[in-house]
Amino acid sequence: MSAAALAAETATRLAAADARGLNAVLAWSEPLLKQQAALLDAAPAGPLSGMAVALKDNIVTTDQPTTCGSRLLEGYVSPFEATVVSRLRAAGGLVAGKTNLDEFAMGSSTEHSAYGRVLHPHHPELVPGGSSGGSAAIVAAGAVRAALGSETGGSVRQPAAFCGVVGIKPTYGRVSRFGLVAFGSSLDCISPFGATVADAAALLAAISGPDPRDATTLDLEPIRVPLPRADLRGMVIGVPQEYFPADLHSGVRAACDRAMSRLRDLGAELREVSLPHTRYAVPAYYVVNPAEAAANLARFDGVRYGQRRIGPEGDIRALYRATRGQGFGREVQRRILVGTFVLSAGYAEQYYHRAQAVRRRIIADFDAVFASGVDLLFTPTTPTPAFRAGEKTADPVTMYLADVFVCPASLAGIPAMSLPIGRDDGLPLGGQLMARSTDESTMISVAAALESVIDATAEVRA
Amino acid sequence: MTWETVIGLEVHVQLATRTKMFCPCPTTYGEQPNTAVCPVCLGLPGALPVPNAEAVRLGTLGALAFGCTIHPVSVFARKNYFYPDLPKGYQISQFDKPLATGGTLSFESPERGPLTVGITRLHLEEDAGKSLHDRVPGQTAVDLNRAGTPLAEIVGEPDLRSPGEARAYLVALRQLLVYAGVSECSMEEGSLRVDANLSIRRPGDPLGTKTEVKNMNSFANVERALEAERLRQMALVEGGGRVTQVTLTFNAATGEVKPLRTKEDSHDYRYFPDPDLAPLVLDDAWLADRVAELPELPAARRTRFETTLGLPGYDVGVLTAEPAIADYFEAIVAEGTDPKVAANWVMGEGLASFSAAGAFAVPPGRVARLAAMVADGELSLQAAKRVYAELAAADDDPRLIAERLGVIQVRDEGALAGWVEAVIVEHPDEVRRFREGEAKLIGFFVGQVMKRSGGQADPKAIQPLLRARLTA
Amino acid sequence: MTIDRGTVQHMARLAELAVTDADADALADQLDRIVRLVEQLTEVDGDAPSTDSAGVVVGPSRTPLREDVVAPIAMAHGPAEFAPAMQDGLFLVPRLGGMTDS
Repeated sequence: MSAAALAAETATRLAAADARGLNAVLAWSEPLLKQQAALLDAAPAGPLSGMAVALKDNIVTTDQPTTCGSRLLEGYVSPFEATVVSRLRAAGGLVAGKTNLDEFAMGSSTEHSAYGRVLHPHHPELVPGGSSGGSAAIVAAGAVRAALGSETGGSVRQPAAFCGVVGIKPTYGRVSRFGLVAFGSSLDCISPFGATVADAAALLAAISGPDPRDATTLDLEPIRVPLPRADLRGMVIGVPQEYFPADLHSGVRAACDRAMSRLRDLGAELREVSLPHTRYAVPAYYVVNPAEAAANLARFDGVRYGQRRIGPEGDIRALYRATRGQGFGREVQRRILVGTFVLSAGYAEQYYHRAQAVRRRIIADFDAVFASGVDLLFTPTTPTPAFRAGEKTADPVTMYLADVFVCPASLAGIPAMSLPIGRDDGLPLGGQLMARSTDESTMISVAAALESVIDATAEVRA
Repeated sequence: MTWETVIGLEVHVQLATRTKMFCPCPTTYGEQPNTAVCPVCLGLPGALPVPNAEAVRLGTLGALAFGCTIHPVSVFARKNYFYPDLPKGYQISQFDKPLATGGTLSFESPERGPLTVGITRLHLEEDAGKSLHDRVPGQTAVDLNRAGTPLAEIVGEPDLRSPGEARAYLVALRQLLVYAGVSECSMEEGSLRVDANLSIRRPGDPLGTKTEVKNMNSFANVERALEAERLRQMALVEGGGRVTQVTLTFNAATGEVKPLRTKEDSHDYRYFPDPDLAPLVLDDAWLADRVAELPELPAARRTRFETTLGLPGYDVGVLTAEPAIADYFEAIVAEGTDPKVAANWVMGEGLASFSAAGAFAVPPGRVARLAAMVADGELSLQAAKRVYAELAAADDDPRLIAERLGVIQVRDEGALAGWVEAVIVEHPDEVRRFREGEAKLIGFFVGQVMKRSGGQADPKAIQPLLRARLTA
Repeated sequence: MTIDRGTVQHMARLAELAVTDADADALADQLDRIVRLVEQLTEVDGDAPSTDSAGVVVGPSRTPLREDVVAPIAMAHGPAEFAPAMQDGLFLVPRLGGMTDS
């Protein structure tokens, strides 16, 4: 298919998603699609030719605004483009548009956007997950084959599971963060969604690799899309007991049981393992992440860019306080306040430094399991299917706990992905694979093998 | 009862790099506002810092110059506070794991003589931009050209005991860093800034409450400001008051210090390791290379000039004040000039042009050739100074200029004998009187020969010829 | 540690956020729940506060360094395009008021 045809088709599908009121895309335009297509059709084909890719609106582009789902950045157009965007354009990809998100990627439901919540693509009363809910929903709606989201504590895997698409979080440092608006800098990973494992993997391969503009990228060759596996003989897949608590949602459990049985059928050995500090991942995450976020969001002060507001006193402090007090939504303010608290004089040892110590233990748990001969870990991605809009907005802690199974890999910086493994009552469910650092290849190849033998749209409790 | 003054200085120096600490923007001075900026130093969303290798190298050289322990692993940390010229809302600095700790600085105290004081630490950080309060009425204008400029902060121990000692410390610190090639250390261009902590106590007592003094734009003003603060604290305590921990600013026009903010407003900087930057790791081999490339420092050079070159103490002080002067001097000596002769040329004619223009007007090789012509008797010292003045203006060899000026001394016996013969023939009376014993007339004859030669005859060569002819 | 309105207001001052008293009460309640969640971390090592102040490094173990070569990162447009207030190339902000330390 020519890029021009892809652009026209993408425009039709994005318009249809808008018409349904999905609210998944904040900015797209047919002229911009056509303009890009002309350039792509004039250039040699690349690995992403024929693929339209939506971008989470915290990845900067020079041809469209980057709002981060915030009033504070309404209308802000970046003067530079993210490394990942340049790479996906160079690989022949068509940028479809910018997708809605929880403000500054803070949330697990995409209800915390200043531009309204994103609807679940199949069940409008439900949330699509978050914070990359717009990217997940627009892939699930079939408007694009792939999208980029960003992971800080599961913000791609969790919405991928809720929406029934594939989401891959690479090893921390595999993909450049240059041009990703920073949230939790030691956790942030730009991560692809795909309708299939192959689409997500192709996009990941195209954007990965070291970047001299991001000092935290790993000096390794770009990821390659692994060759398909006929079977999984010789593969040891660990099943950490902490991810299967007694009160696990029965649909989620049934889906995981079925997926594990398929993995066994493919020849893999499933082995029960333990990651004893799993339950401390969410508490540790909600110290480390807000601490980094509070500093990362200090630059939004209304001095150099953004929507400035000036308080009644008319001095610089009033400008800061009004700009940030009115420009940031409630969840962002909560994180900034918590992050300020855990680093403040008298509390840093008790909170920030202790959380760092616990983070080290979580990393050590994974190291020990992978050192014991386990190649991969299999778990549910989320404790429940997608929840109803408004269900968890009153109590932030309830919302945070929705990320209990995705946080540990984020803290450890290891690769992890979610792929659809069935439906319960029509709601998509995700299975999670986690791999040792930089071993995306094994993880993706096993996911592809599992994908080929499982009917992800079938009910898991017939 | 007397008071003892206790002073510790924190000095920020700009590292002499081409680009900023964390982005490839140029470090410039005096450009149009907000033109030497990029997404990184503007603090734009999505931008990330990448440290400058040269800043690390220069910071390490500076730390080595103080004899600090260089830590093979140090950590960049975020120092969080809001200020309009701080683009990210935090400064990237180093906190509890700095590049270097535990050095010393030796210098001559005006009161206590030769003195060695402690350097607590040296760490790397980025500078903020500039807030201009007088450009637009009622508003503050922000220029971020300076934002991100690489700095080394050098924290000294509270080992100084007088404002004069603080000034001598700064002179020595500046000299050391200029020698090591770390920084230009120009207070005028803002590449060296000083904050001072001062307290007073009765001798033998524990440390008193200290105040911080800022906004001192020259070494002389550091001394003035600290003297003012010392007197302020003494008057306060002697009047029954107590010193409170304040930051003060020095007004050079009035010579007064004034409080800036009180402890209640002081910041809670919430330092934490910058997650955008992994630890700074320096290998043993790399560090060994830095030790090897550290230039000769002022103390070593002074010793060498005194012992090896045999120069007097005063000359050594003048010649080693700045590495540029010492290098120039040594280049002249390297061309074969006697060290004392070279010292005289540098300290006289050379320094005059260096102080005026910041550079030596005459290349060392030409000074050496000029000095050689004097040594060989081809030029009188007076004539050589005339030639030197021309050398500064013209790009020519000293000999060509001397010839052009016609000041090369004639020692050719034939020419000299001709002039001598002519003078004797013209002055029969004086010849007679000389021969009758009026010996002082020799001076008259020399003068006449010089006159006849148009000043070109070598006076030293004339006398033997004259005597030989007159007594013949 | 119980988070009250005073703590919220203190943090809001440090973070330069305008928070009304009514908001501060609601935020104090939410922050208190978050802090109680976080305090589960004491189960791992007891009450002894951590003394290790180093960061956790998940990416490269040492920072790469950049050569000192002038190569400014290109910008499609200058600060005037995004600055809320700019005059003669300078960002303008209101007078500093209480922030008098310059």
